[in-house]
This record gives sequence, structure tokens and C-alpha cells, in this order.
Amino acid sequence: MDYAIEIHDLTVAFDRKPVLWNIDAHLPAGKLIGILGPNGAGKSTLIKTIMGLIPAGSGYVKIFGQPLKEVRKRVSYVPQRETIDWDFPVSVMDVALMGRYAHTGMFGKLRRADRDIALDALRKVGMEAFANRQIGRLSGGQQQRTFLARALAQRADLYLMDEPFAGVDAATEKAVITLLREMTTQGKTVLVVHHNLQSARQYFDHLLLLNTRLVACGPAPEVFTPDNLRDTYGGNLTLLTDVANLMHQEQHPVRENKLQQE
Amino acid sequence: MPIGYEDITILITGTLIAICCALTGSLLMLRRMALAGDAIAHAVLPGIVIAFLLSGSRSSPFMIAGAAAIGLFTTFSIEMLQKKARLQNDASIGLTFTFLFATGIILLSMLAGQVDLDQDCVLYGELAYVPLDVWITPSGTVMGPRALWVTAVLCLLLLALIIVARRPLLLTTFDPAYASAIGVSVPFYHYLLMGSVSVTTVVSFELVGAILVVALLIAPAATAYMLTDNFRMLLVLACLAGAVAVAAGYAMAATLDTSIAGSIATANGLLFMLAFIFSPQHGLLFRKKRKPVIH
Ligand SMILES: Nc1ncnc2c1ncn2[C@@H]1O[C@H](COP(=O)(O)OP(=O)(O)O)[C@@H](O)[C@H]1O
Ligand SMILES: [Mg+2]
Repeated sequence: MDYAIEIHDLTVAFDRKPVLWNIDAHLPAGKLIGILGPNGAGKSTLIKTIMGLIPAGSGYVKIFGQPLKEVRKRVSYVPQRETIDWDFPVSVMDVALMGRYAHTGMFGKLRRADRDIALDALRKVGMEAFANRQIGRLSGGQQQRTFLARALAQRADLYLMDEPFAGVDAATEKAVITLLREMTTQGKTVLVVHHNLQSARQYFDHLLLLNTRLVACGPAPEVFTPDNLRDTYGGNLTLLTDVANLMHQEQHPVRENKLQQE
Repeated sequence: MPIGYEDITILITGTLIAICCALTGSLLMLRRMALAGDAIAHAVLPGIVIAFLLSGSRSSPFMIAGAAAIGLFTTFSIEMLQKKARLQNDASIGLTFTFLFATGIILLSMLAGQVDLDQDCVLYGELAYVPLDVWITPSGTVMGPRALWVTAVLCLLLLALIIVARRPLLLTTFDPAYASAIGVSVPFYHYLLMGSVSVTTVVSFELVGAILVVALLIAPAATAYMLTDNFRMLLVLACLAGAVAVAAGYAMAATLDTSIAGSIATANGLLFMLAFIFSPQHGLLFRKKRKPVIH
């Protein structure tokens, strides 16, 4: 099998406090992959380490079988919403065009083709009409779609997204998941940090459950078990109720299907 | 009031300095590092004094290099205190620049007898001296005011830098994580900007002094920020605001017979207030809600 990401014995620490401990996982290419875990589990840290933004304490990551710097152009990243300065004087189109910088370089010319690709990306996420809008004057869902367009404009093979559904309306979430699905059918690999247990099961092909240590990693139906979820989220009461509900749904598959059809 | 040769040299020099400050100041503000600009403006003082002692002249390459070094040291020290000593950002900044500035003051007063560097001039600037310090080449040609040449060169260099490196400067400011993800060195552009701020500060201290230079770094950028949502336009408007403040401040100083630096800084503040009240986009009068449109 082809792996998009191989994580080997990865440990990352801040101030000698381990945030990721001995993670060893292989993530298949061409799949929609979810990363689940409670707050502070190290999800963002894992993504940033894969991107080379945080140095690994020990262990290493390979992307498409190669070190990151050989394949940078093929990897794109959608940051967590809170890290963006939404008052910054850039337009939706400016952000989408940044996706082309990976190809043109910092000093190369942006050609007509690059603009077309950026515009095409905006069209795919339904943001074409807002191309000239400053990014602070958008709804949460539109802001998220703008950054998704940047990732699309990069025409990467691997997409890393940190909580793309935080602060996003249900309609956008659905549209984006459809788009991500479509991308995986074209062979792209999409890795998404997700926080909603309810929808995780339906959205993803593959799941990685994380809580400093790796709890489980594999095809969603195999990994999404009460034991694994309890190991991931610990004794968190509300979450355990969520899990109980999910288990309940599982015992009534007919009802679940009905819900999906609605 | 008739405008003479001296006024024109002073105005041109002042405008060039305002442009240098507006360009670097805008980038600082967008990085939310305006306070670090303030810190550097103060921290370069010991560098200025030592370089002046060694070279015996203002605006020397010596002084500029010394200032750039101290500016980078300041940036580095602020980061170290934050990371290693776990101080907050504002505490690190306050600790670093007051220490360096105080060292500069002590040096300045200790050496007051030995060097022709006026404490008032360094702290508050004296634009009126610009026409007096004339650059004469070794062959005897009179080239005009030295400060005019220095600021013109700096202005061209900064413009060239911002035009050539606009993309990485913008990207590392806006989204450093994405920038480094696609292989751009974020620290490089960070230190490049801080170096530019240091050099700009040193060159500007003659105009407005080490203290009021902060007004030129921050106010025009803030004024422009009120008026536009476009990065390029922001830089252009900041330069314009800086230039207008210099002209208005100079006229004000001449009319009221008062401090030029003080007048220019005041004019900068007034311009900002005008923009804050009357800006079509974010002004108090016509404030459109910057609230997101829900779809
Ligand atoms: N830059 C940092 N310095 C120190 N600790 C950090 C830093 N970034 C994250 N952490 C810590 O690492 C842990 C994991 O953080 P993070 O990866 O953001 O978690 P998640 O995204 O799963 O919520 C948290 O306990 C957080 O406090
Ligand atoms: Mg996170």
C-alpha cells in the first residue's frame, strides 16, 4: 500500500514536557483521514510537526516516502482559525493567490495561469463573488472556505487541515466535506483535525485517535469503538454520554440510515 | 513666510525620513510589533553614542552599522527573555530597551565634554541643523547636506527592498506558519525587517530624536490603516500621511516658533484623529459594521 504519511517513533516536547509521545503511524494515500482527540491532545502539534513547523524531539516523519523538504510543494496546510489576523489588509483573492507562491517562489512572476487557478479554486468553494472582499468582512464559513481555496490553488497532493469546521455553519461543513471527498477520489490525501465525535464516524475513511500517545489508527469502522474512544477521551462525562449515544445508534442501524437520508 | 533654500532642504530630508519610517512602521504594525519598533528606537542610543565617539561624525556608515547591530541584538534579546526567561512579551520589551536606553544616556552624559553630540539633539532631534552639516568630497566638491544624501539612499534601498521582497514580507507577516510550510525562512525576514527599522531609526534620530521617531514609525501607519483594506494602498497612504505631517508640522513650528520635532509628531497625531473620525470605512462618523455577513 502507498502511504501518504509515515510517522516513526515521533516524540515532541515543549519545555521537556512531552506533548506527543512515541507516535508510530502510517496513513494511507487517497483517503479522507480524521484526527480525533481532546483539547491539548497534541493534534495541532502533530500537524505542525508533519509540516516541519515544530522540530521533532526524536523520531521522524516521511511524506510520500520522502523527507518533507523534497515534497514541500505537494503539501498544503490550512491553519487553525484563531491563528489568523482577520483585520489584515488582504482580500480573498490575495489569500487564494498565496497558494501559487509554492510554485512561483517568492520572487517569480505570477502568471495569468496562476490567477486562473486561484480563481478556479475560489469558484470550487463558492467564493468567487467575494474575490475582492477583505477577509475580515466574511462569515466564519466563508473565511474557512477562503483558506481552503488557497490550499486548492496550491494543487497539492496532501492537505493538512486544523479544525476546518470550527465556527463554520452546517451548510458550509457539508459542502466542504463533499469537496474533500471529491478530492480523495482524485487521489489526494486529506488529513483533518476534527472535534465532533458525532460526525467523525460518517466523514472519515480512516481515523487517528490521539491523546499524547497514539490510541489507535486505522480504517474508521475498526477504530471507532467505545474502548478506543474511552481511552482517548478519558473519563470526560459529556463525551462518554456522546459515546453512549453513538453506541445506541449503532444498535439501531436502520434508524441511523434514516437519519442520513433526511 | 518666504520659503528659502534651507527650508526646502529641511522639508525634503524630513519627507524622505517620514517615508522610510512609514514603510518600516507599516510592516511593524501589521506584525503587531509596533512596541518593538519603539524599543529599537530607544535601544540604539548607546550604539549611536559609541559609534559617534569612534568615528566623530553623524550619519557615518559606522554609526548605521552599529545601530543595525544593536537593533538586531535588541530583537534577539526580547525573544530570548520571552523564550528562556519566560517573561511576557511586553515585559521583555520594557526590560531590554530601558536598560539599553539608560546605558546610552549615561554614556552620553559621561562623554558630554569629549564629543560634540548634544543630549537634547539626540533625544528630541534638531531638523534645523540639517542644512549646516554639508558633505564635501575629498576633492573639494560641495555635495549639499549630508543628511539629505543619507536619507535619500536609505529611502531608495527600503523602496527597493519592499518592492522586490513584497511577497515574502507580506506572507511571513500574515501567515508565518504557511510561509515556513512552503519553505520561506520566517526568521530571515523578521530580522531583515528589524535591521531596517534599526537603520531607519538611527538615520531619523537627527530629525525627530530617539524618542519622537516612534511617532513617525507608528502614526502614519495607523492613519493609513484607518483608510484602506489593501496592503499596497496601506504603504502608499502611510508614506503620504508621513509626508503631509512633516510639511504641516514644519509650517506649524515656523508659525508658532516652536520645536520642529514636536510639531511634526503633533501633526501626525492630528492626522490620525482626522482619519479616525472621517474614514469612510472605519471612521467614527460613517462606521460600517465590520461584522461578518452571515450566509
Ligand atoms: N508553543 C508551545 N509552547 C508550549 N506548549 C505548547 C505550545 N504549543 C502547544 N503547547 C502545549 O502542547 C499541548 C498540545 O497542544 P496542541 O497540539 O495545540 O493540542 P490540540 O490541538 O490537540 O488541542 C497543550 O498542552 C499545549 O498547552
Ligand atoms: Mg489545536
